[in-house]
Amino acid sequence: MPLIFHDVIVQPSTNYLDYNYYTSLFENDLKAVIPESFLLIASLIVLLYGVFLSNSKDKNYPILVVNASIISILSLLFTIILLWNNPISRATIFYNNLLIDDLALFLKILILLGGLFSIAMSLQYIQNEGLNQFELQLLILLSSVSMLFLVSAADFITMYLAIELQSLAFYVMAGVKRDSEFSTEAGLKYFLLGAFSSGILLFGLALLYGFTGTTHFSEVSKIFICGSDSLRFGFSSLRGCELGMVFILVGFLFKLTAVPFHMWAPDVYEGAPTSVTAFFAIVPKVSVLAVLLRLCYQGFYDFMVPWQKMLILSSIASMVLGSLAALSQNKIKRLLAWSSIGHVGYLLIAISCGTVEGIQAILIYLVIYLVMTIALFAVVLCPLRREKISSLNSDKLEISRLKYLTDFALLSKTNPVIAITIMITMFSIAGIPPLAGFYSKAYLMFAAMSASQYLLAVVAILTSVISCFYYIRIVKIIYFEKPTTLLTFIQISKESSLVLAVTFTFILFFCLNPAPLFLATHKTALAFCF
Amino acid sequence: MVEFVAILIYFVIALALAGIILGLSFVFAKQKADPEKISAYECGFDPFDDARSRFDIQFYLVAILFIIFDLEVAFLFPWALTLSKIGLFGFWSMMIFLIILTIGFVYEWKKGALDWS
Repeated sequence: MPLIFHDVIVQPSTNYLDYNYYTSLFENDLKAVIPESFLLIASLIVLLYGVFLSNSKDKNYPILVVNASIISILSLLFTIILLWNNPISRATIFYNNLLIDDLALFLKILILLGGLFSIAMSLQYIQNEGLNQFELQLLILLSSVSMLFLVSAADFITMYLAIELQSLAFYVMAGVKRDSEFSTEAGLKYFLLGAFSSGILLFGLALLYGFTGTTHFSEVSKIFICGSDSLRFGFSSLRGCELGMVFILVGFLFKLTAVPFHMWAPDVYEGAPTSVTAFFAIVPKVSVLAVLLRLCYQGFYDFMVPWQKMLILSSIASMVLGSLAALSQNKIKRLLAWSSIGHVGYLLIAISCGTVEGIQAILIYLVIYLVMTIALFAVVLCPLRREKISSLNSDKLEISRLKYLTDFALLSKTNPVIAITIMITMFSIAGIPPLAGFYSKAYLMFAAMSASQYLLAVVAILTSVISCFYYIRIVKIIYFEKPTTLLTFIQISKESSLVLAVTFTFILFFCLNPAPLFLATHKTALAFCF
Repeated sequence: MVEFVAILIYFVIALALAGIILGLSFVFAKQKADPEKISAYECGFDPFDDARSRFDIQFYLVAILFIIFDLEVAFLFPWALTLSKIGLFGFWSMMIFLIILTIGFVYEWKKGALDWS
């Protein structure tokens, strides 16, 4: 049965002065978006606070990065609390434009947590690097708002607008370090390809609207189930809908950096400041995948055969290229970019299953992938600057950045605790049994097998074996390789070490009690089906 | 739609008139070009240095601000026309939009994007 939401609270009325709409608007609709409104208002307040204080002569033009970060973390935290305590758990609101259900709640909390952790762990980095613009945190807040809307979008227009708001914030964030050529190049590249992919997406939406006459997910799916007369008898309009769907999927695959459309990702990941890269790697995948999931399972479920083929193809290509191209990388951020492309391949397997297990697998994978990526980027971020021991005698310390994989060498001696953390995280991403990463991959394979996607499962296992090589190569560098120049770490900040501790504990001890996550994701996936 | 035909005709006539006025000066004026006449005019002196110069970022800022507030006006037009029908709800919806834009404007102001000194 296709997934339609029956409990529509607000029936769209043509009369704007309709009394019923008013009562429902103020009793339900506005209440249901309290978390989003709070975050939006908070970001506007951060904007005003930052611009007034940082330009005040009396205060001697203070740098507000730390303040803005802490306010942002707090407002994200309060948004999570508001979301958690939201009394309205299932509704379609604002003339069926937004949709609130368990899946949206789950993914929204995931997005906010990702944003929160990525701000916390980049606090030290942005201070060291001199990224003294409070706008960076502000943009994280604003893009989080848009991602919250994106997750609960139930309409093509809402979806497109939310994607654009999110992307626009990202373009600015990628190019935020104006004195770095790499950063500006990354910003430009991201902007051009992002705008191109948005254009493709928009063309697909326009085609679909032209052939069906509606922009709402579940109405589109209703048309596809029973078929309006023109759709049933008109061969060409069905083809038109399929064409639109292909364009939409291509747009989404662009945003997800799945393989035929991945070319911008390694450059953007490498060029953007590392704190921004961390945010890119962690958060937007969740929101884009959420809306893709909604679109595929709610809007296009009856078109499953064509979109499944596309996703399977893209998934296989992503897995193969992600694992093979990462083999030859020497730079950390590029390696992580290729590795994330491979992970998108695994996530696409789960979408192309088309089953409840598929949804559950994608949720589990997202949670665990998020935690592992946070741990990795926390490591890449915090000791980013290392002092060369050889130059200790001179009064000016020579500082070099952690850029190449070989910079990790001898970490086991200089900082054994971080070395163990990286080792465990790498083993987890590679999928070594008792760690969290194993569970996500295993459940994914189960889902793929039970949906008879044997080819995907086999390719996934083979590529994950290949990708073990480069994950474990890092461990080898840390423990067994001799560095050319001796480097030491600067002390890690409290926030980063806290983030690392939390994620490390999760990865290591997830096996002791995996039930809560499995139950929560199962409940979420089931709620999505009715 | 029909009233646009008059505007189109007006457009064509205006173009033709401008062309005629421009063309007449070519027909009736004497044209004797020499190097002094066609060289760049810099207050009577020869050009001092390269004609290229750094472009002031302020021009971009003003252009971008214009685009943003131009869009704002585009949203205000239909609102202003239908204000009697959409009632207090419509009024406050637009006010929220304007407040958000105003916060953006305050940001620009305090940031110094409007200073030309």
